[in-house]
Amino acid sequence: MDDSLRELYQDVILDHSKHPRHFGKLEGATATAQGHNPLCGDRVTIQLIVDKDDRIADIKFEGKGCAISQASASLMTDMVVGRTVAEAEKLMGGFLNLVKGEEVEGLDEDDRERLDVMAGVSAFPMRVKCATLAWHTMKSALEGGPAAITE
Amino acid sequence: MRPFNGGGEMIREVTRDIVTYADPPARFEAGTPPIIESIGLAAAIDYLSALDRDAVKAHEHDLLTYARERVRQLNWLRVIGDAPGKASILSFEADGMHAHDLATILDREGVAVRAGHHCAQPLMERFGVTSTTRASFALYNTRTEVDVFIEALAKARKILG
Repeated sequence: MDDSLRELYQDVILDHSKHPRHFGKLEGATATAQGHNPLCGDRVTIQLIVDKDDRIADIKFEGKGCAISQASASLMTDMVVGRTVAEAEKLMGGFLNLVKGEEVEGLDEDDRERLDVMAGVSAFPMRVKCATLAWHTMKSALEGGPAAITE
Repeated sequence: MRPFNGGGEMIREVTRDIVTYADPPARFEAGTPPIIESIGLAAAIDYLSALDRDAVKAHEHDLLTYARERVRQLNWLRVIGDAPGKASILSFEADGMHAHDLATILDREGVAVRAGHHCAQPLMERFGVTSTTRASFALYNTRTEVDVFIEALAKARKILG
């Protein structure tokens, strides 16, 4: 099999997409945003509870989409919960660079390693938007915007 | 009417004070016309005109019938749209596989399909799906290529399933 396909659809990705973490509705959310990719029809809703210390106390996502978009949302929610908004945004910056095949700087080794499972996306430019939808939607929620659109 | 775009061939005279434009249609056709595209179009028309249309129709129908038969054996795949006399296209959804993941894998196997809502979102709603994968058969395709397509589907199932 094509190595780039194996890299894209590695076990961790498939596991996240089949058994998404933090999937569902969040009671008492302080921030919500919906993301939509009009070209492929993917939709995601991100809900967060941001506490008074600007920390993401909880986060959940709901949506329908391809394995890449679901896995990315699952991985993201898993990684940002318990972190400050600033930390989450830093993580997002690293992730966006990673999936575009650009240099990733300033991330902890552990974070870098966990995000690295998505690095295979960079070989499929058409699929980058699938991977970034949840992250853009989270950013939109944190900034108080109603919707994110990637295409 | 004033021109909406500037460029070669749409001008009559330009002085320091006054600009006058060419008469329509040149006024609205700024820049180099699509010369290469016109030549390509003529070649395409020549090619299609020389074909036996009934033979083309029969060939494409045969490919669709064959593909439909092969796909029927895959119980994890649901064909969408089986109207009699339809064009030679096969739309479907597959258990546990999103159309875009499927399309990416088929692409790597050398099979080009279209995936998504096909600019027909109300139709997707009618069938209760968010997206489908669609294979199209043309006069230059063969039964062997249908086999390659079926094998690629099985491979995708193995990767994603």
